[in-house]
Amino acid sequence: MTEEIKTIVKEYILHEFLPGEDPNQLTETTPLITGGVLDSIGTLRLVLFLEERFGVALQAHETDREYLDTIAAVAALVHSKKS
Amino acid sequence: MGTSNDSPSVAVTADRSEPRARGSRSSTWLPFAVLASGGPKSIPLQRASAERICAQVAMRLAMVCVQLGLVLLVIYQYQLESRTFFNVMALGFAGFVVHALLPLQYRLSLFVGLSLAAVIVAFGPLNGGYLILLGLLLIGICHLPLRLGVRILVLILTGTVFALWRLEILPGPWSVAIWPILGSMFMFRLAVYLYALKHDHERPTATRTLAYFFMFPNVCFPLFPVVDYSTFRRTYYDREAQQIYETGTKWIVRGLVQLILYRFVYMHLTGDPMELHSLGELAQFLLATILLYLRVSGQFHLIIGVLHLYGFRLPETNHLYFLASSFTDLWRRINIYWKDFMMKLVYYPSFFKLKRFGPNAALVGATIVVFLGTWLLHSYQWFWLRGGFPLAPQDGLFWGALGAFVLMGALREMKRSRPRKLGGATAWSLALALRTVGTFTALCVLWSLWSADSVTTWLLMWGAAGTTSARELLILGGFPYRLANATSMLVLIGLLTLSWKDLYAPLAPAVASIVASVQRSTLNARDAALQHEGYYENLDNTSRMSAQLWDVTAQQARWLPLSATTAYQLRRDFLGAELRPNASIVFMDQEFTTNSWGMRDRERTLLKPAGVYRIALLGPSHVMGAGVSDANTFARLLEEQLNRPGNGNGAIRYEVLNFGVAAYALTQQLAMLEDRVLKFDPDAVFFTDGPHLAAPTVGHMLDAVARHHRIPFPRLQELMQETGVAALGRDGVPVLFDAGRAALESLGVKTRMPWSEADQRLRRSADRVIRVTLEQMSEVVREHGALPVFVALDNVGDPPQLPVPALHDAAAAGMLVFNLFDLWQGRDANALRIAVWNNHPNAAGNRLIAERLYDLIQKHSAELRLGGLSWQANRAR
Repeated sequence: MTEEIKTIVKEYILHEFLPGEDPNQLTETTPLITGGVLDSIGTLRLVLFLEERFGVALQAHETDREYLDTIAAVAALVHSKKS
Repeated sequence: MGTSNDSPSVAVTADRSEPRARGSRSSTWLPFAVLASGGPKSIPLQRASAERICAQVAMRLAMVCVQLGLVLLVIYQYQLESRTFFNVMALGFAGFVVHALLPLQYRLSLFVGLSLAAVIVAFGPLNGGYLILLGLLLIGICHLPLRLGVRILVLILTGTVFALWRLEILPGPWSVAIWPILGSMFMFRLAVYLYALKHDHERPTATRTLAYFFMFPNVCFPLFPVVDYSTFRRTYYDREAQQIYETGTKWIVRGLVQLILYRFVYMHLTGDPMELHSLGELAQFLLATILLYLRVSGQFHLIIGVLHLYGFRLPETNHLYFLASSFTDLWRRINIYWKDFMMKLVYYPSFFKLKRFGPNAALVGATIVVFLGTWLLHSYQWFWLRGGFPLAPQDGLFWGALGAFVLMGALREMKRSRPRKLGGATAWSLALALRTVGTFTALCVLWSLWSADSVTTWLLMWGAAGTTSARELLILGGFPYRLANATSMLVLIGLLTLSWKDLYAPLAPAVASIVASVQRSTLNARDAALQHEGYYENLDNTSRMSAQLWDVTAQQARWLPLSATTAYQLRRDFLGAELRPNASIVFMDQEFTTNSWGMRDRERTLLKPAGVYRIALLGPSHVMGAGVSDANTFARLLEEQLNRPGNGNGAIRYEVLNFGVAAYALTQQLAMLEDRVLKFDPDAVFFTDGPHLAAPTVGHMLDAVARHHRIPFPRLQELMQETGVAALGRDGVPVLFDAGRAALESLGVKTRMPWSEADQRLRRSADRVIRVTLEQMSEVVREHGALPVFVALDNVGDPPQLPVPALHDAAAAGMLVFNLFDLWQGRDANALRIAVWNNHPNAAGNRLIAERLYDLIQKHSAELRLGGLSWQANRAR
């Protein structure tokens, strides 16, 4: 389940924010917020995508880097919401 | 809208949520605990390699210490910020050495101890103790066993009581000086801390909480970046200690460079928007206005650099903001901590509340809330730092325009994301360069609006664009960053070399002069004019003052202006104001008495006694003797010296009559001459003024016109007509520009010229006003048979760098000119002024003035006709 979430999130990030980048460079521990991949608008777009794609509802404080800074953290958050 | 990109240097490095160093708490303590804090302890160290690494660490630590020593020298040589700042930094750097050598588990406690000690160093035990106690009270409320909403309510109520203390409505046993720092420590951090208490998984420890709120070196920086608690906790020793220290040193040096550059911009590039004459001057003004932000970014770099020395690897506060390619980009780069604070506490919560209306509507709503909040919170911050709550229209326009630009960018990015690179820098392109130039230009324009005295002033300023001039356009920004790329050590050595001017002054006097001007925290010509004449005392909108003037006035707050005392009274004529007769007060901590004629002088008879040579002395606050006792005004000291046996010219006695009144403009001295000076039958009349006499003179003339006071000097009256500013005195609604007034008048609407337009017009003719005034003075005095003298005298400070036309005009008008502008040159200013924040001469300074005047009187005894008096005196005997 978590692996599937990771794959979907990675595809979304590559497509929306990193077009043309080598997919291998984006790992599940690559920092997204602190690394400048996600700014505030990017974060909101990711949140809207997660809510729509996985049918979960996120809270405002879950936009923090603690929850969304890596693909692994995003997957863990979605997984915890779904379960 | 914003990004949380901390620093490009860590762009693709895995972020550790837990500090590495924590793993070393139980490790064996090594002579340099930095090794323990930085090394992965899972790898067993061989003794030899451990010793080698230890030596490397020791060398790196020693290099940091050497650089910090040089930093202290630079702070001292350039007198950066305040004396407290130097003391606190010395404490901080000494503390760093001990801190770095301690085992990790004791370091945070030492940091708390140093932070609290810095409060005591800055405020003394009593006031420092109060500050700490009030802070502990606020922290205690955050931890009350009550629901969060109730705790917030209690904090608001407590804050209200604090606000009443801040405004001195409620009496308190502490100095009012503690409020800016207490406010700075708690006004935003409380919100961030409560947020963390609610959402963070890790509970704060008492030590960390104290470290967060009393954070060293907040005590000498009221304007402090809004540090996020979670980041403060998370980044504590989360990298190798040496790396953190070295980054900190680099940022401290960057901050110092920016603060020195700020001094240069403040002293040499800024100007008065009402006195711009050409497009070139306008361009320089716009550029200088935005460059003044170097002070804030310099301070913030310095602050975060210092925190790095104690292991807090906080992110960058400002990142190449002059190179923003859009306003959205600018919002991400400038004052990043504020942006992150607003995103976390305002933007995201607003967006989530509004997103049921659709993402775009939520984006618009959240952005509006953020920029409205930013505007109001800037005023809230101002309240704690200054005690007022300014809500100027230009602030609203600035934040509104900035918000609109950012929103446009955000909506575009919501629709189509801008492409990013993984860890790579953005490639250069012509389009990017043009966007960057365009954004910077627009930013300069917007920033000038934000910094303007009023929207009207800002609009009038653009009139200068009609006259083209190519000069000053070559001043371009960007150099701070190139300098920052050099090694910290080279920069520090370069700054120190520059600071010893004797080494190169004979070869490059111009460079030495510029360096001298940035080596002291003093006021530039415009602000000095405001302070010197006490003119700022009459400004009702102090919120528009520059940061430097803010510092000065904040420190000076407890001294009331003379106009707020019972020794001062207004008049409904051209003179405008005078000293009240027979007043006896304490002014600026000194006894202050006036005689029955309203002079700060001993009692005088109207009729001049036989054989007495009378000198009437007129001028502003330094003539009146602001900040010295009655016995120590230079008028009194000069009289004593002239009458000392053997010092005179054979006259029986001298009288030096002090007609000085604080904030008197040159035109008021002329009015005073006719009002009462001549009645005392003086033999010589000394008019005194400094190099910045234009602004108060213009202000006084405009005030007279606006209040319909008759100007009793026909040539000054004619000047008001010629310049058109007589229209200020008409009845009607204020309307900008002749064309605007004419259009409305044709519709039957009565109009008048607004003050700001009249101010701008008359300032352009200020030299003529001064020339005519000096001519009038000379004529009136000579008609009376006395000798007119112009005494050029400034408060304690360097001589003016530009020629002062009044000196030439006074001589041309037939006045004897005593130039004392060089009186303070090469002397210790602190020994001659009444306070660090106030350049009025103290008793020693007044004595120096009296001695110089005495010498000049002796030297010019023939022109002053002292020989004739000697003959009269002998005959009287």
